Amino acid sequence: MNKKALYVIMIFAVMMTLGKGISYAVTAEENYKFYCTQCHGSTGKGDGINVTKDMAVTPRNHASAEDMSKLSDIDITNAITDGGPANSKSPLMPPFGKTLTADEIKDMVSYLRKLCNCTGGK
Amino acid sequence: MVKRVTCSRVVVVSLLTFAIIGFGAESSRADAAKGKSVFEAKKCGGDCHITQGPATEKTFADQLKKKGPELWYAGNKLKKEWMEKWLQDPAVIRPLEYNSIEKKNPGNHPKLSKTEADEVAEYLMTLTSKDVESGVIQANKNIQGKQAFEKKQACQACHQIEKTGKVIGGLVAPSLVKAGERLQGDWIYAYLKKPKVFKPVKRMPVYEGYLSDVDMKNIAALIASF
Ligand code: HEC
Ligand code: HEC
Repeated sequence: MNKKALYVIMIFAVMMTLGKGISYAVTAEENYKFYCTQCHGSTGKGDGINVTKDMAVTPRNHASAEDMSKLSDIDITNAITDGGPANSKSPLMPPFGKTLTADEIKDMVSYLRKLCNCTGGK
Repeated sequence: MVKRVTCSRVVVVSLLTFAIIGFGAESSRADAAKGKSVFEAKKCGGDCHITQGPATEKTFADQLKKKGPELWYAGNKLKKEWMEKWLQDPAVIRPLEYNSIEKKNPGNHPKLSKTEADEVAEYLMTLTSKDVESGVIQANKNIQGKQAFEKKQACQACHQIEKTGKVIGGLVAPSLVKAGERLQGDWIYAYLKKPKVFKPVKRMPVYEGYLSDVDMKNIAALIASF
């Protein structure tokens, strides 16, 4: 095999990996904005537009260190993955385990920790 | 003799029947073609409605740049009689503007005349997806579906429904009040079962694995009864 062909193949391989990275990398902030703010509100206070007076429980205030420090990282992961019932809470918190990847959920937990500026209990 | 009369009568009657059926099919095809022209002349395509499947959206941006729901599977999703009426008098279905989680729906959808509406409905009924199996779901106010819709999951968090005569529920999703007049049950089931086919990027979560196949069928039958 000559050198030129090898270079072409290498460049192609690099482009393939980069391309993949670019098209699939969605930040936790972007995911939060698209999926979560509709209920949790644009600053996470639990005041999204879906929260009408008919909503039996209010979405968790992600900006409250007091509320969020009661939850461990595992609690948060479980609620996002399987919905409120995973923590014996309301199904008004839907499951996102088939919508977000496990890595995206991991990033989301860190993002929520930034919003509340707190760490997990337990 | 008698026999021959009956026989020719049969021939005449069947010829007439064929002529009528043939003519009917011919005229609805013609209407669909006219409907397509109206659709194009009024610029209903473009950013507003995609009429060419399959879905190609991959990113949030792909979804967010659309100004209206895609119609490439309209013939499976919507009911013809509903479209004929709605296109003449378009009432708000989504409480919020398409794709917005802030702005109220201004309710400014273009209106068509009766003839145009009939023709466009005829055209949209020709847009179908191979991923919808027909004859699977019958409208049915079933308690299991209600349980799965309201308690196991809480679809009303985002969708308006009618509950004891009152409209309740979230605002981000299309209202499901009287959805049985608008949506076909078989499509509702397909939409839940194969979310990536119809709408790969949306604010609604994927329920595969969280609702069983039976739950999805029961929910589709329930919504079709709304
Ligand atoms: C349809 C509305 C809705 C959406 C969308 C939604 N949530 Fe929630 N969320 C809720 C409600 C309501 C609760 C409170 C449940 C309760 O206290 O019983 C909640 C609670 C939570 C909790 C706390 C769970 C616990 O055990 O206390 C976390 C964490 C959370 N949501 C994260 C998220 C994230 C991250 C997203 C986006 C991927 C999201 N939510 C999207 C409505 C929603
Ligand atoms: C987090 C919010 C949310 C939840 C929870 C939710 N949906 Fe949706 N749903 C949406 C949105 C947004 C759309 C519109 C997607 C689009 O066309 O852009 C939608 C669309 C639909 C449609 C198609 C309606 C139409 O006219 O196009 C059906 C049917 C539906 N959802 C059923 C359900 C069912 C059943 C559940 C519960 C198992 C559910 N949804 C839970 C947000 C939600």
